[in-house]
Amino acid sequence: MILNALSITMIFIGALSALLAIWGGISSLILYRKWERPTAPEEKTSLEDRSYLILLIMVIVLVVRLINWPLFYVTLQSFISDIEGAMCIFGVTQVKPSLTRFSEILKPITFFFIGGWLILHVLDRATKTSPLMRRKLFLLSIIGLLVLIDSMGDIFLVIGIAPESLVSCCTTVTDISSRPTRTAPESIFGPEYAQSLQILFFITHLTLIGFIGVNLKFKIFRRLILGLLSLFAILNAFVFLLSQIEVFAPRMMHLPFHHCLYCLWQYVPDSIVMYLLFILGTFSVGWGFTTELFGRQGEAADLLPGYLRKIYWFAFFFLSASLMMLLIHLLID
Amino acid sequence: MASNKRWIALFVIFVIISLGSGCQGERKSIEGRCDYDGAKIEPLYAVYFTLQDGTEKKFCSIACASMSFSALKKQIKEVRVVDEPSGNKINASDAFFVESEIVTVPHVKNRIHVFAKKEEALKHIQKFKGNWVEIPFLL
Repeated sequence: MILNALSITMIFIGALSALLAIWGGISSLILYRKWERPTAPEEKTSLEDRSYLILLIMVIVLVVRLINWPLFYVTLQSFISDIEGAMCIFGVTQVKPSLTRFSEILKPITFFFIGGWLILHVLDRATKTSPLMRRKLFLLSIIGLLVLIDSMGDIFLVIGIAPESLVSCCTTVTDISSRPTRTAPESIFGPEYAQSLQILFFITHLTLIGFIGVNLKFKIFRRLILGLLSLFAILNAFVFLLSQIEVFAPRMMHLPFHHCLYCLWQYVPDSIVMYLLFILGTFSVGWGFTTELFGRQGEAADLLPGYLRKIYWFAFFFLSASLMMLLIHLLID
Repeated sequence: MASNKRWIALFVIFVIISLGSGCQGERKSIEGRCDYDGAKIEPLYAVYFTLQDGTEKKFCSIACASMSFSALKKQIKEVRVVDEPSGNKINASDAFFVESEIVTVPHVKNRIHVFAKKEEALKHIQKFKGNWVEIPFLL
Protein backbone atom coordinates (compact mmCIF):
# COMPACT_ATOMS: atom_id res chain seq x y z
CA MET A 1 0.00 0.00 0.00
CA ILE A 2 1.22 3.50 -0.82
CA LEU A 3 0.73 5.64 2.24
CA ASN A 4 -0.12 9.29 1.68
CA ALA A 5 -2.83 11.74 2.77
CA LEU A 6 -5.03 10.89 -0.22
CA SER A 7 -4.82 7.11 0.15
CA ILE A 8 -5.71 7.42 3.85
CA THR A 9 -8.64 9.70 2.95
CA MET A 10 -9.83 7.20 0.33
CA ILE A 11 -9.73 4.31 2.80
CA PHE A 12 -11.41 6.38 5.52
CA ILE A 13 -14.20 7.53 3.18
CA GLY A 14 -14.50 4.01 1.78
CA ALA A 15 -14.83 2.36 5.20
CA LEU A 16 -17.26 4.97 6.52
CA SER A 17 -19.48 4.99 3.46
CA ALA A 18 -19.47 1.18 3.26
CA LEU A 19 -20.73 0.93 6.85
CA LEU A 20 -23.32 3.67 6.38
CA ALA A 21 -24.39 2.20 3.02
CA ILE A 22 -25.09 -1.17 4.70
CA TRP A 23 -27.09 0.52 7.46
CA GLY A 24 -28.84 2.99 5.14
CA GLY A 25 -29.57 0.40 2.45
CA ILE A 26 -31.11 -2.14 4.84
CA SER A 27 -33.04 0.51 6.80
CA SER A 28 -34.49 2.07 3.65
CA LEU A 29 -35.54 -1.37 2.35
CA ILE A 30 -37.33 -2.10 5.66
CA LEU A 31 -38.99 1.32 5.62
CA TYR A 32 -40.00 0.85 1.98
CA ARG A 33 -41.80 -2.37 2.86
CA LYS A 34 -43.56 -0.80 5.85
CA TRP A 35 -44.42 2.53 4.21
CA GLU A 36 -47.65 1.65 2.41
CA ARG A 37 -49.10 -0.64 5.08
CA PRO A 38 -51.95 0.85 7.10
CA THR A 39 -50.54 1.73 10.52
CA ALA A 40 -51.52 3.56 13.67
CA PRO A 41 -50.74 7.33 13.67
CA GLU A 42 -48.00 6.86 16.33
CA GLU A 43 -46.30 4.21 14.27
CA LYS A 44 -46.63 6.36 11.12
CA THR A 45 -44.93 9.24 12.95
CA SER A 46 -42.17 6.92 14.13
CA LEU A 47 -41.66 5.68 10.54
CA GLU A 48 -41.47 9.25 9.26
CA ASP A 49 -38.94 10.23 11.93
CA ARG A 50 -36.77 7.24 11.09
CA SER A 51 -37.01 7.96 7.37
CA TYR A 52 -35.87 11.58 7.90
CA LEU A 53 -32.86 10.41 9.91
CA ILE A 54 -31.91 7.85 7.26
CA LEU A 55 -32.37 10.36 4.44
CA LEU A 56 -30.33 13.01 6.25
CA ILE A 57 -27.38 10.69 6.84
CA MET A 58 -27.57 9.07 3.42
CA VAL A 59 -27.68 12.45 1.64
CA ILE A 60 -24.36 13.31 3.31
CA VAL A 61 -22.91 9.90 2.36
CA LEU A 62 -24.11 10.27 -1.23
CA VAL A 63 -22.68 13.79 -1.60
CA VAL A 64 -19.35 12.46 -0.30
CA ARG A 65 -19.55 9.63 -2.86
CA LEU A 66 -20.11 12.20 -5.62
CA ILE A 67 -16.86 13.91 -4.59
CA ASN A 68 -15.20 10.49 -4.37
CA TRP A 69 -15.16 10.06 -8.16
CA PRO A 70 -12.69 12.91 -8.87
CA LEU A 71 -10.88 12.07 -5.61
CA PHE A 72 -10.28 8.56 -6.96
CA TYR A 73 -8.31 9.95 -9.91
CA VAL A 74 -6.47 12.50 -7.76
CA THR A 75 -5.38 9.59 -5.53
CA LEU A 76 -4.21 7.51 -8.50
CA GLN A 77 -2.33 10.57 -9.78
CA SER A 78 -0.56 10.86 -6.40
CA PHE A 79 0.73 7.27 -6.79
CA ILE A 80 2.56 7.90 -10.09
CA SER A 81 5.90 8.77 -8.52
CA ASP A 82 5.85 5.53 -6.47
CA ILE A 83 5.19 3.18 -9.39
CA GLU A 84 8.20 2.42 -11.56
CA GLY A 85 7.36 2.90 -15.22
CA ALA A 86 4.20 4.94 -14.61
CA MET A 87 4.25 8.38 -16.21
CA CYS A 88 0.50 9.01 -15.88
CA ILE A 89 -2.57 7.47 -14.21
CA PHE A 90 -2.62 4.74 -16.87
CA GLY A 91 0.57 3.27 -15.42
CA VAL A 92 -0.99 3.17 -11.94
CA THR A 93 -4.07 1.41 -13.31
CA GLN A 94 -1.77 -1.35 -14.62
CA VAL A 95 -0.78 -2.45 -11.11
CA LYS A 96 -4.27 -3.90 -10.46
CA PRO A 97 -5.80 -3.70 -13.95
CA SER A 98 -9.01 -5.69 -13.42
CA LEU A 99 -9.99 -4.06 -10.14
CA THR A 100 -9.15 -0.57 -11.43
CA ARG A 101 -11.18 -1.13 -14.61
CA PHE A 102 -14.10 -2.38 -12.51
CA SER A 103 -13.93 0.76 -10.31
CA GLU A 104 -13.60 3.01 -13.35
CA ILE A 105 -16.80 1.54 -14.83
CA LEU A 106 -18.74 1.45 -11.57
CA LYS A 107 -17.93 5.01 -10.49
CA PRO A 108 -19.75 6.86 -13.30
CA ILE A 109 -22.74 4.50 -12.92
CA THR A 110 -22.87 5.19 -9.16
CA PHE A 111 -22.40 8.92 -9.79
CA PHE A 112 -25.32 8.92 -12.23
CA PHE A 113 -27.66 7.04 -9.87
CA ILE A 114 -26.71 9.23 -6.90
CA GLY A 115 -27.24 12.42 -8.92
CA GLY A 116 -30.60 11.20 -10.19
CA TRP A 117 -31.68 10.20 -6.69
CA LEU A 118 -30.62 13.54 -5.17
CA ILE A 119 -32.69 15.43 -7.78
CA LEU A 120 -35.68 13.24 -6.95
CA HIS A 121 -35.09 13.94 -3.26
CA VAL A 122 -35.00 17.70 -3.84
CA LEU A 123 -38.23 17.46 -5.86
CA ASP A 124 -39.93 15.45 -3.12
CA ARG A 125 -38.80 17.86 -0.42
CA ALA A 126 -40.46 20.71 -2.30
CA THR A 127 -43.85 19.01 -1.80
CA LYS A 128 -45.94 18.95 1.38
CA THR A 129 -47.03 15.29 1.24
CA SER A 130 -43.79 13.57 0.13
CA PRO A 131 -45.45 11.48 -2.59
CA LEU A 132 -42.08 10.12 -3.78
CA MET A 133 -40.94 8.83 -0.38
CA ARG A 134 -41.59 5.14 -1.07
CA ARG A 135 -39.82 5.24 -4.45
CA LYS A 136 -36.97 7.17 -2.91
CA LEU A 137 -36.50 4.56 -0.20
CA PHE A 138 -36.55 1.71 -2.70
CA LEU A 139 -34.02 3.44 -4.97
CA LEU A 140 -31.90 4.29 -1.94
CA SER A 141 -31.59 0.62 -1.04
CA ILE A 142 -30.28 -0.11 -4.57
CA ILE A 143 -27.89 2.84 -4.45
CA GLY A 144 -26.75 1.66 -1.00
CA LEU A 145 -25.64 -1.60 -2.62
CA LEU A 146 -23.79 0.25 -5.39
CA VAL A 147 -22.08 2.51 -2.84
CA LEU A 148 -21.09 -0.53 -0.78
CA ILE A 149 -19.48 -2.29 -3.77
CA ASP A 150 -17.80 0.93 -4.90
CA SER A 151 -16.43 1.66 -1.42
CA MET A 152 -15.10 -1.89 -0.98
CA GLY A 153 -13.49 -1.61 -4.43
CA ASP A 154 -11.74 1.61 -3.34
CA ILE A 155 -10.42 0.04 -0.16
CA PHE A 156 -9.11 -3.12 -1.87
CA LEU A 157 -7.57 -1.10 -4.68
CA VAL A 158 -5.77 1.43 -2.50
CA ILE A 159 -4.47 -1.32 -0.20
CA GLY A 160 -3.55 -3.53 -3.17
CA ILE A 161 -1.41 -1.01 -5.06
CA ALA A 162 2.10 -1.84 -3.88
CA PRO A 163 4.87 0.75 -4.11
CA GLU A 164 7.82 0.09 -6.44
CA SER A 165 5.62 -2.06 -8.71
CA LEU A 166 7.06 -2.22 -12.23
CA VAL A 167 4.60 -1.46 -15.04
CA SER A 168 4.66 -0.24 -18.61
CA CYS A 169 2.61 2.86 -19.30
CA CYS A 170 0.15 4.19 -21.87
CA THR A 171 2.52 4.44 -24.85
CA THR A 172 2.67 0.65 -25.15
CA VAL A 173 -1.14 0.31 -25.21
CA THR A 174 -2.89 3.47 -26.42
CA ASP A 175 -0.52 4.18 -29.31
CA ILE A 176 -0.25 0.80 -30.99
CA SER A 177 -1.73 0.69 -34.48
CA SER A 178 -4.12 -2.17 -33.59
CA ARG A 179 -5.82 -0.22 -30.77
CA PRO A 180 -9.63 -0.66 -30.92
CA THR A 181 -10.27 3.10 -30.83
CA ARG A 182 -8.48 3.28 -34.18
CA THR A 183 -9.53 0.02 -35.85
CA ALA A 184 -13.27 0.47 -35.10
CA PRO A 185 -13.69 3.91 -36.76
CA GLU A 186 -11.19 2.98 -39.47
CA SER A 187 -13.36 0.00 -40.48
CA ILE A 188 -16.33 2.37 -40.90
CA PHE A 189 -14.74 5.55 -42.28
CA GLY A 190 -11.60 4.22 -43.97
CA PRO A 191 -8.01 5.46 -43.61
CA GLU A 192 -9.10 9.12 -43.24
CA TYR A 193 -11.18 8.18 -40.19
CA ALA A 194 -9.83 10.98 -37.97
CA GLN A 195 -11.36 13.74 -40.08
CA SER A 196 -14.72 11.91 -40.29
CA LEU A 197 -14.73 11.27 -36.55
CA GLN A 198 -14.11 14.94 -35.86
CA ILE A 199 -16.99 16.00 -38.11
CA LEU A 200 -19.25 13.32 -36.63
CA PHE A 201 -18.53 14.58 -33.11
CA PHE A 202 -19.45 18.18 -33.99
CA ILE A 203 -22.64 16.99 -35.73
CA THR A 204 -23.83 14.78 -32.84
CA HIS A 205 -22.84 17.30 -30.15
CA LEU A 206 -24.52 20.25 -31.86
CA THR A 207 -27.58 18.12 -32.64
CA LEU A 208 -27.86 17.12 -28.98
CA ILE A 209 -27.57 20.74 -27.85
CA GLY A 210 -30.11 21.69 -30.53
CA PHE A 211 -32.61 19.04 -29.41
CA ILE A 212 -32.27 20.17 -25.79
CA GLY A 213 -32.80 23.79 -26.92
CA VAL A 214 -35.97 22.81 -28.85
CA ASN A 215 -37.25 20.89 -25.82
CA LEU A 216 -36.69 23.91 -23.61
CA LYS A 217 -38.25 26.32 -26.09
CA PHE A 218 -41.42 24.30 -26.69
CA LYS A 219 -41.49 22.62 -23.26
CA ILE A 220 -41.72 19.13 -24.72
CA PHE A 221 -41.19 16.98 -21.64
CA ARG A 222 -42.79 13.72 -22.82
CA ARG A 223 -41.28 10.53 -21.44
CA LEU A 224 -40.60 8.96 -24.84
CA ILE A 225 -38.83 12.05 -26.17
CA LEU A 226 -36.73 12.41 -23.02
CA GLY A 227 -35.83 8.71 -23.23
CA LEU A 228 -34.73 9.08 -26.86
CA LEU A 229 -32.78 12.19 -25.92
CA SER A 230 -30.96 10.20 -23.21
CA LEU A 231 -30.08 7.47 -25.72
CA PHE A 232 -28.77 10.13 -28.08
CA ALA A 233 -26.70 11.61 -25.24
CA ILE A 234 -25.13 8.15 -24.68
CA LEU A 235 -24.33 7.92 -28.39
CA ASN A 236 -22.83 11.41 -28.27
CA ALA A 237 -20.74 10.43 -25.22
CA PHE A 238 -19.40 7.45 -27.15
CA VAL A 239 -18.48 9.62 -30.15
CA PHE A 240 -16.96 12.21 -27.78
CA LEU A 241 -14.74 9.59 -26.18
CA LEU A 242 -13.58 8.18 -29.51
CA SER A 243 -12.90 11.60 -31.02
CA GLN A 244 -11.06 12.72 -27.90
CA ILE A 245 -8.77 9.69 -27.95
CA GLU A 246 -8.12 9.70 -31.67
CA VAL A 247 -8.29 13.37 -32.69
CA PHE A 248 -8.59 16.06 -30.03
CA ALA A 249 -6.34 14.80 -27.20
CA PRO A 250 -3.24 14.44 -29.43
CA ARG A 251 -3.90 17.93 -30.85
CA MET A 252 -4.39 19.55 -27.45
CA MET A 253 -1.25 17.88 -26.08
CA HIS A 254 0.80 18.81 -29.20
CA LEU A 255 1.76 15.13 -29.33
CA PRO A 256 0.27 13.95 -32.65
CA PHE A 257 0.96 10.23 -32.07
CA HIS A 258 -0.05 9.99 -28.42
CA HIS A 259 -3.63 9.03 -27.56
CA CYS A 260 -3.75 8.80 -23.76
CA LEU A 261 -6.51 10.77 -22.01
CA TYR A 262 -4.77 10.52 -18.63
CA CYS A 263 -1.74 12.23 -20.17
CA LEU A 264 -4.09 14.90 -21.53
CA TRP A 265 -5.35 15.67 -18.00
CA GLN A 266 -1.74 15.89 -16.87
CA TYR A 267 -0.38 18.10 -19.65
CA VAL A 268 -3.52 20.19 -20.27
CA PRO A 269 -5.10 20.52 -16.80
CA ASP A 270 -8.06 22.63 -17.92
CA SER A 271 -9.22 19.69 -20.04
CA ILE A 272 -10.40 18.25 -16.71
CA VAL A 273 -12.89 21.15 -16.47
CA MET A 274 -13.96 20.46 -20.05
CA TYR A 275 -14.53 16.77 -19.27
CA LEU A 276 -16.37 17.67 -16.06
CA LEU A 277 -18.70 19.97 -18.00
CA PHE A 278 -19.29 17.29 -20.63
CA ILE A 279 -20.04 14.63 -18.01
CA LEU A 280 -22.41 16.91 -16.08
CA GLY A 281 -24.13 17.96 -19.32
CA THR A 282 -24.56 14.37 -20.51
CA PHE A 283 -25.67 13.14 -17.10
CA SER A 284 -28.15 16.03 -16.80
CA VAL A 285 -29.89 14.74 -19.94
CA GLY A 286 -30.19 11.32 -18.26
CA TRP A 287 -31.23 12.88 -14.95
CA GLY A 288 -34.02 14.72 -16.73
CA PHE A 289 -35.32 11.37 -17.98
CA THR A 290 -35.02 9.59 -14.61
CA THR A 291 -36.72 12.51 -12.85
CA GLU A 292 -39.61 12.29 -15.32
CA LEU A 293 -39.69 8.51 -14.92
CA PHE A 294 -39.83 8.42 -11.12
CA GLY A 295 -41.05 11.91 -10.23
CA ARG A 296 -44.48 11.96 -11.87
CA GLN A 297 -46.49 11.10 -8.76
CA GLY A 298 -49.14 13.05 -6.82
CA GLU A 299 -48.19 16.57 -5.83
CA ALA A 300 -44.67 16.19 -7.33
CA ALA A 301 -46.17 15.89 -10.84
CA ASP A 302 -47.25 19.54 -10.69
CA LEU A 303 -43.75 20.71 -9.82
CA LEU A 304 -42.07 18.40 -12.33
CA PRO A 305 -42.09 20.66 -15.46
CA GLY A 306 -40.29 23.44 -13.57
CA TYR A 307 -37.62 21.03 -12.37
CA LEU A 308 -37.20 19.44 -15.79
CA ARG A 309 -36.73 22.90 -17.27
CA LYS A 310 -33.93 23.60 -14.80
CA ILE A 311 -32.25 20.22 -15.41
CA TYR A 312 -32.29 20.68 -19.19
CA TRP A 313 -31.03 24.23 -18.84
CA PHE A 314 -28.06 22.80 -16.95
CA ALA A 315 -27.56 20.19 -19.70
CA PHE A 316 -27.71 22.88 -22.39
CA PHE A 317 -25.32 25.14 -20.51
CA PHE A 318 -22.78 22.46 -19.56
CA LEU A 319 -22.65 20.86 -23.02
CA SER A 320 -22.31 24.27 -24.70
CA ALA A 321 -19.56 25.32 -22.26
CA SER A 322 -17.63 22.09 -22.84
CA LEU A 323 -17.89 22.59 -26.60
CA MET A 324 -16.72 26.21 -26.25
CA MET A 325 -13.67 25.09 -24.25
CA LEU A 326 -12.79 22.53 -26.90
CA LEU A 327 -13.19 25.06 -29.72
CA ILE A 328 -11.08 27.67 -27.91
CA HIS A 329 -8.34 25.08 -27.41
CA LEU A 330 -8.40 24.06 -31.05
CA LEU A 331 -8.31 27.70 -32.16
CA ILE A 332 -5.42 28.58 -29.81
CA ASP A 333 -3.48 25.54 -31.03
CA MET B 1 -32.80 36.38 -12.27
CA ALA B 2 -30.02 38.77 -11.19
CA SER B 3 -28.62 36.01 -9.00
CA ASN B 4 -28.63 33.61 -11.98
CA LYS B 5 -26.72 36.10 -14.09
CA ARG B 6 -24.16 36.53 -11.32
CA TRP B 7 -23.63 32.75 -11.18
CA ILE B 8 -23.26 32.51 -14.95
CA ALA B 9 -20.77 35.41 -14.95
CA LEU B 10 -18.76 33.73 -12.14
CA PHE B 11 -18.81 30.46 -14.06
CA VAL B 12 -17.61 32.09 -17.28
CA ILE B 13 -14.74 33.77 -15.36
CA PHE B 14 -13.85 30.38 -13.85
CA VAL B 15 -13.75 28.72 -17.27
CA ILE B 16 -11.60 31.56 -18.70
CA ILE B 17 -9.15 31.29 -15.79
CA SER B 18 -9.02 27.49 -16.23
CA LEU B 19 -8.36 27.90 -19.94
CA GLY B 20 -5.67 30.51 -19.34
CA SER B 21 -3.86 28.51 -16.68
CA GLY B 22 -4.34 25.32 -18.67
CA CYS B 23 -2.77 26.74 -21.82
CA GLN B 24 0.12 28.18 -19.82
CA GLY B 25 0.64 24.86 -18.03
CA GLU B 26 0.44 23.08 -21.35
CA ARG B 27 3.32 25.09 -22.82
CA LYS B 28 5.42 24.67 -19.67
CA SER B 29 4.81 20.95 -19.36
CA ILE B 30 5.59 20.10 -22.98
CA GLU B 31 8.93 21.93 -23.05
CA GLY B 32 11.88 19.58 -22.66
CA ARG B 33 9.74 16.45 -22.86
CA CYS B 34 9.50 13.58 -25.29
CA ASP B 35 7.86 14.62 -28.57
CA TYR B 36 6.07 11.29 -28.79
CA ASP B 37 4.40 10.79 -25.41
CA GLY B 38 5.43 13.84 -23.35
CA ALA B 39 7.46 11.80 -20.84
CA LYS B 40 10.45 13.34 -19.07
CA ILE B 41 13.67 12.74 -21.01
CA GLU B 42 16.60 11.02 -19.35
CA PRO B 43 19.49 12.48 -21.45
CA LEU B 44 21.39 9.17 -21.48
CA TYR B 45 18.62 7.40 -23.42
CA ALA B 46 17.44 10.28 -25.61
CA VAL B 47 17.13 10.23 -29.40
CA TYR B 48 17.21 13.39 -31.55
CA PHE B 49 15.77 13.84 -35.06
CA THR B 50 16.97 16.84 -37.04
CA LEU B 51 14.37 17.68 -39.67
CA GLN B 52 14.94 19.15 -43.13
CA ASP B 53 13.72 22.57 -41.96
CA GLY B 54 16.31 22.64 -39.16
CA THR B 55 13.93 21.96 -36.27
CA GLU B 56 14.69 19.20 -33.80
CA LYS B 57 12.46 16.47 -32.37
CA LYS B 58 13.57 14.74 -29.19
CA PHE B 59 12.44 11.42 -27.76
CA CYS B 60 12.83 9.71 -24.39
CA SER B 61 13.80 6.31 -25.80
CA ILE B 62 14.56 4.27 -28.89
CA ALA B 63 11.02 2.86 -28.56
CA CYS B 64 9.33 6.27 -28.83
CA ALA B 65 11.70 7.45 -31.55
CA SER B 66 11.13 4.35 -33.69
CA MET B 67 7.35 4.73 -33.33
CA SER B 68 7.63 8.29 -34.68
CA PHE B 69 10.23 7.43 -37.29
CA SER B 70 7.90 5.94 -39.91
CA ALA B 71 5.63 9.01 -39.84
CA LEU B 72 8.50 11.52 -39.96
CA LYS B 73 10.91 9.60 -42.23
CA LYS B 74 10.55 11.90 -45.25
CA GLN B 75 11.27 15.02 -43.16
CA ILE B 76 14.27 13.67 -41.27
CA LYS B 77 17.77 14.88 -42.17
CA GLU B 78 19.76 13.29 -39.37
CA VAL B 79 19.19 10.98 -36.39
CA ARG B 80 21.41 11.26 -33.33
CA VAL B 81 21.51 8.88 -30.38
CA VAL B 82 23.44 8.88 -27.10
CA ASP B 83 26.32 6.52 -26.39
CA GLU B 84 25.43 4.97 -23.02
CA PRO B 85 28.94 4.59 -21.53
CA SER B 86 30.12 8.14 -22.36
CA GLY B 87 26.86 10.10 -22.70
CA ASN B 88 28.05 11.63 -26.01
CA LYS B 89 25.67 12.27 -28.88
CA ILE B 90 26.57 10.28 -31.99
CA ASN B 91 25.08 9.75 -35.42
CA ALA B 92 22.70 6.77 -35.42
CA SER B 93 24.37 5.29 -38.49
CA ASP B 94 27.68 5.06 -36.54
CA ALA B 95 26.12 3.47 -33.45
CA PHE B 96 25.78 -0.18 -32.36
CA PHE B 97 22.38 -1.24 -31.07
CA VAL B 98 21.96 -4.04 -28.56
CA GLU B 99 18.82 -5.54 -27.02
CA SER B 100 19.28 -7.03 -23.56
CA GLU B 101 17.36 -7.87 -20.39
CA ILE B 102 18.14 -4.44 -18.91
CA VAL B 103 15.26 -1.96 -19.18
CA THR B 104 16.42 1.62 -19.76
CA VAL B 105 13.11 3.50 -19.93
CA PRO B 106 10.53 1.59 -17.86
CA HIS B 107 7.32 3.26 -19.09
CA VAL B 108 7.88 1.90 -22.61
CA LYS B 109 9.90 -1.13 -21.45
CA ASN B 110 12.74 -0.10 -23.74
CA ARG B 111 15.53 -2.71 -23.76
CA ILE B 112 17.56 -1.36 -26.68
CA HIS B 113 20.96 0.08 -25.76
CA VAL B 114 23.23 2.32 -27.80
CA PHE B 115 27.03 2.12 -28.01
CA ALA B 116 29.61 4.05 -29.97
CA LYS B 117 32.28 1.30 -29.65
CA LYS B 118 31.77 -2.29 -30.71
CA GLU B 119 33.82 -3.62 -27.74
CA GLU B 120 31.50 -1.91 -25.25
CA ALA B 121 28.49 -3.35 -27.04
CA LEU B 122 29.99 -6.86 -26.96
CA LYS B 123 30.71 -6.52 -23.24
CA HIS B 124 27.07 -5.59 -22.65
CA ILE B 125 25.85 -8.52 -24.75
CA GLN B 126 27.93 -10.99 -22.73
CA LYS B 127 27.05 -9.49 -19.36
CA PHE B 128 23.29 -9.04 -19.86
CA LYS B 129 22.30 -11.81 -22.32
CA GLY B 130 21.99 -9.36 -25.19
CA ASN B 131 21.85 -9.65 -28.95
CA TRP B 132 22.57 -7.35 -31.86
CA VAL B 133 19.74 -5.23 -33.24
CA GLU B 134 19.71 -3.61 -36.66
CA ILE B 135 19.67 0.19 -36.75
CA PRO B 136 16.04 1.20 -36.19
CA PHE B 137 16.48 4.49 -38.10
CA LEU B 138 17.46 3.67 -41.69
CA LEU B 139 17.08 6.82 -43.76
